[in-house]
Amino acid sequence: MSEDENPFGELLQDYVLECLPLAEQVADAFVELERRWRAGDAADEVLASLPGRLHTVKGNSAMMGLAPMREVAHALEDACGLLRQRPERRDDAAAGLLVAGGGLLVELVRQASPDLDPAPAERYVERVRQWLSSDVAPASDTQPERRRTERRGGGEGGAGGDKAASVVRVDFRRLDAMLEVLGEGLIQHATLAEAYRGLARLTGASEELDRLDQAVVALQKTLKRLESTLMETRLLPISTVFGRFPRMVRDTAEAEGKRVRLVQGGGETPLDKAVLDRLSEPLVHLVTNAIVHGMEPGDVRRRAGKPEEGTVRLEAAPQAGRVVIRVSDDGRGLDERAIRKKAEALGQDGRNEESIPLRNLIFLPGLSTAERVSTLAGRGVGLDVVAGAIHALGGTIDVETAVGRGTAFTLSLPVTLAIVRSLIVEIDQERYALPLAHVAETVRAEPEAIRQINQRGVTQWRGDLIHVADGGAVLGTGGERPAPRRFYVVMAAAGKRRGLLVDRLVGHQDVVVKGLDPELGRPDVVSGTTILGDGRVACILDTVRILEGGRRAG
Amino acid sequence: MPVDHARMGDRLLGFADDMDARAAADVAAAPGPELHLLTFALDREEFGIPVTQVREVIRVSEITRVPQAPAHVRGVANLRGRILAVVELRSRLGLAPAELTPRARVVVVEVRGRVLGLLVDAVSQVTKVPQASVVPAPEEVLSGEADYVTGVARWQSRLIILLDLEKALAPTE
Repeated sequence: MSEDENPFGELLQDYVLECLPLAEQVADAFVELERRWRAGDAADEVLASLPGRLHTVKGNSAMMGLAPMREVAHALEDACGLLRQRPERRDDAAAGLLVAGGGLLVELVRQASPDLDPAPAERYVERVRQWLSSDVAPASDTQPERRRTERRGGGEGGAGGDKAASVVRVDFRRLDAMLEVLGEGLIQHATLAEAYRGLARLTGASEELDRLDQAVVALQKTLKRLESTLMETRLLPISTVFGRFPRMVRDTAEAEGKRVRLVQGGGETPLDKAVLDRLSEPLVHLVTNAIVHGMEPGDVRRRAGKPEEGTVRLEAAPQAGRVVIRVSDDGRGLDERAIRKKAEALGQDGRNEESIPLRNLIFLPGLSTAERVSTLAGRGVGLDVVAGAIHALGGTIDVETAVGRGTAFTLSLPVTLAIVRSLIVEIDQERYALPLAHVAETVRAEPEAIRQINQRGVTQWRGDLIHVADGGAVLGTGGERPAPRRFYVVMAAAGKRRGLLVDRLVGHQDVVVKGLDPELGRPDVVSGTTILGDGRVACILDTVRILEGGRRAG
Repeated sequence: MPVDHARMGDRLLGFADDMDARAAADVAAAPGPELHLLTFALDREEFGIPVTQVREVIRVSEITRVPQAPAHVRGVANLRGRILAVVELRSRLGLAPAELTPRARVVVVEVRGRVLGLLVDAVSQVTKVPQASVVPAPEEVLSGEADYVTGVARWQSRLIILLDLEKALAPTE
């Protein structure tokens, strides 16, 4: 393997480590579904556990440029989505389709290579497509909603009074200070490990050296345990935020003259307090939108054959190191055509329904403040603000909608702001951390694939033209004539996509986020700093700001 | 109004040379209240800050550049797990930039609860100077916001420019 291949090799290994267990869980779940459906059991909770895992596999595959896995995971996601809404389609044929897909996915992930034969995946995706298109909407589909048991979120805060005696109140700042000290410990460990390796090279093997090695390894394990214990201490159940919603929904619905029921779930899901503090506002925004714009008036609902009382769901669940929050309603859904029309008026190419998904349009600033869309489509007030707040937390937001059936926003958030899973890249001899949440794919930069249009690099990416900016130019570190760089990272957030040319892909790392000293001013492109495993300091790039950077950057 | 650091620097050095010539005639003063200073070299001159503001002096390790940071910021370094912003004191005070030599050091200071690194050409020593040897800096080198020179100590044929770090460094938010 040439030196060029190495960065990908390392990343591929990370990919398999993360995705193979997920793919296997998915495959197992499909088998269980088949068994339970045959026994006449709807197995709703098994079905509900799948989209998140599939989404993670899809996202990671996309990031690695592994199209077959991405496509298969995507097809399975679609199939599961339909099955969740249509219990009557949970038959042997569906189960067979899922089981086959699960097996294929595991096989593909296990082989993880950019040179996979795409044919089996393509054949399977076509099979799913045909199965999906054979769907006929039933007159009423409220059935599965009733069957699902409703868990009550929130409220459990008051429980456990008998435990009160062993509970200590701690100022959150002290937990921050502890994390700081732990960070120092982790770096000191890295220094120690480095010193050990140097010593081993100098002196050769010895018994004392072995003992030192064991101590260094043991110390690392201890520190890691301390880290996870400390991180847990910083977490609070999301019910601390959910708690305010029952009252808010009642009041808003009353003011609107609508009957709306709030169903909460997953209130026990833990989240870092720093995330919770900044989550409340966007959630209020989404729930208010759902009631004010999403819900039809009672008589309209009745005529449409829906229960007069609307349902808003607020659900959270932990998912592969992140927390997924879903805000959904059974209202009128988004008027996709009106949104596309409006987007076009804003100069966006809204026509191509295949290549520009709705989610890339709905979070556009101009669009969401537009009066006309909000009355026509019943939605769209300040969604750019919501998306901005979620992205600032290192999260993502996605929307699904069906006319007449409702809208669902899915938020994926990091459990903590203190530690961010990042892709480490090298640009002009410096290393930088890019939050993985906003990394869509890493691509080898073939010189002939990047064209210059109006002195800006442009390339084809998934059928679209995207701007590829030079990392050194964006960061202001490049020289007069930037050296050709070997990779680019496609960043995506808020419907914007942009490539960033980098010299090297170093690997994945969970980085402990540290702030910026006021002495450093307010750099646009840097959101914080961190210390890498080798003790070097790296800047954490503000992917959202770089994406927003427009013409200025690069 | 932006401060013209470069011009300030020239005037500061000119003034220092002048003082140097006059200080050569001085003899040891009588004992009295003393200032404990950490002194360091920048360009051709000796500067001093109160030792109470100094946490430690470290060698220059790897300093990471920070994109879009102000020109006088050299970057950030890892101080035992803490991120330390390192200020290039030369450029902050308007002196000409220079290559780092092996004698260069980072003086870690704590000013109003903030810990910062100051990159200096070389660190001399901790010096005690009598309070009485400090004369105020002349009006003409103090202009507007650049009044970070609190005075000049003339002591045993040395001339130490006393810095007020609170003023020399960016204000806290």
